[in-house]
Amino acid sequence: MWRRQMWGELMTGIGFRKDFAEEFLNSEILLPDFIEVAPENWIGVGGYWKKQFQQALDRYPLFVHGLSLSIGSPDPLDLAFLKKVKTFLHDTGARIYSEHLSYAKCDNAHLYDLLPIPFTRDAVKHVSERVHQVQELLQQKIALEIVSYYTPVAPEMTELEFINEILNTSDCDLLLDVNNIYVNSFNHKYDPYTFIDGLPLNRVSYIHMAGHQKVSDDLIIDTHGQAIIDPVYRLFDYARSKLQRDVPVLLERDFNIPELKELQEELDHLRTIRKNAIYPKVYATA
Amino acid sequence: MQLLETTRSHQSNLATYCRTGEYTSIPGVNEKHVHHYRRLVYNVIDDTLRSAFPLTVNLLKSKEWNDTVQRFFSEHPCQSPQVWTMPKEFYTYLDETQPKLLKKYPFLLELIWFEWLEVELYMMPDKESEFDGKGELETDLLVINPEHILQSFTYPVHLKNAKFITVTDKGNYFLVMHRLPESGKVEFTDLSPFLVRMLELLSEQPSTSDDLTSRTAADFSMVPDQELTDQVQVFIARMKEKKLIL
Repeated sequence: MWRRQMWGELMTGIGFRKDFAEEFLNSEILLPDFIEVAPENWIGVGGYWKKQFQQALDRYPLFVHGLSLSIGSPDPLDLAFLKKVKTFLHDTGARIYSEHLSYAKCDNAHLYDLLPIPFTRDAVKHVSERVHQVQELLQQKIALEIVSYYTPVAPEMTELEFINEILNTSDCDLLLDVNNIYVNSFNHKYDPYTFIDGLPLNRVSYIHMAGHQKVSDDLIIDTHGQAIIDPVYRLFDYARSKLQRDVPVLLERDFNIPELKELQEELDHLRTIRKNAIYPKVYATA
Repeated sequence: MQLLETTRSHQSNLATYCRTGEYTSIPGVNEKHVHHYRRLVYNVIDDTLRSAFPLTVNLLKSKEWNDTVQRFFSEHPCQSPQVWTMPKEFYTYLDETQPKLLKKYPFLLELIWFEWLEVELYMMPDKESEFDGKGELETDLLVINPEHILQSFTYPVHLKNAKFITVTDKGNYFLVMHRLPESGKVEFTDLSPFLVRMLELLSEQPSTSDDLTSRTAADFSMVPDQELTDQVQVFIARMKEKKLIL
């Protein structure tokens, strides 16, 4: 229904954070192809931060990743805020708008975090209906992110079935957060590679990569506060080779921000994996 | 609406647990891990409020702060989809519910409002203003920086460490807060009632120094003399330097 954007070379991005904005903009240490922001953090903002944001927009294409759409909430969609998001997407020339397959508002109260939607048939229909409503209002396709979760809630089906059902019944894209799949596979004891095999990878329009924190022998929390670990890079490598096409990838780092050169090293690592997956080495054979 | 009542109820139970800590059993939930949701959600609220109200955090005992934040989050349904504006709801909640803490610290509500105004002014959308900044202060039209807030308090929350404010400090305090055009930093200036009125008049429309002085004096049933005119000139020159007057 909606036309997919052409990405060109906008392939490896960074979440633009106030914590490192000034150094990022005043140096050549961290060099992404694009930046990503949450519209909630920038809509209606003026003064110093507007100037910083404008400087970033002058240099980098923007991807937008929302926090408060609450697509799986029992509460009605906040259409007034969604209209502000639409204006923000237009004003900033944003290339993509993605959100989370979760809920963040319930009983008329925002919780400002991502709660897991029950994996139920009625929730599938509910989410699909709302995806349609959002895309109609925005007049563009959205991408939904598979979120990390720490407990299922009254499940009638598996996580994979739930996601596939939503994608089957919604005309939206998929944001493949590779770290979340790793975290979920650990927390809920399944094979992340098989999970990726079971997804409709032709629907993936965007990838997220991040670090996490193991808080106990049987639980990992998706913190975005650590460097990406090797098993997640390997899963990314696998996903890239399965995709058989280039898709933009974002490095998320929200806490414990390291030196910018460390972030650049992570971007370089992601770029190398991407290139190897898309342009595999050719060996001469006898 | 496609959601069944059971699904809605499970979602509500999880959300309620995150807000209040009161857990109602939900089928399929891993009760060993569910507390992490409560912890993560609460941390967002607490961190955002601490960031907005550092002076209040410094004033209150840990238990007072924690109990107040907990009560706020349990009882108040946060309405803003933008978490950075949520602290304003904390102020409104305290104003409406009037907890006992406000009796112990009668200036607390004003302190919280003062801290919020600084956040609001720092973050608020840019306001355009037409000025060239080149005229003569004594004779040309003066323009006030539109990014300002005039505020009155009954306690000197903007002047004194909150730990040392007592009921004997009660009085009438006026200030203007404004955002510096280049850096975006927020500046505070303590004002007399006369200067407050003068800035109010200036915010209504650009005026000359003499016109402002005579109109303000008239509001106070005063006749402007040379001393008053000189004082106003000094103030205007100072405010021009501070970029409250453009």
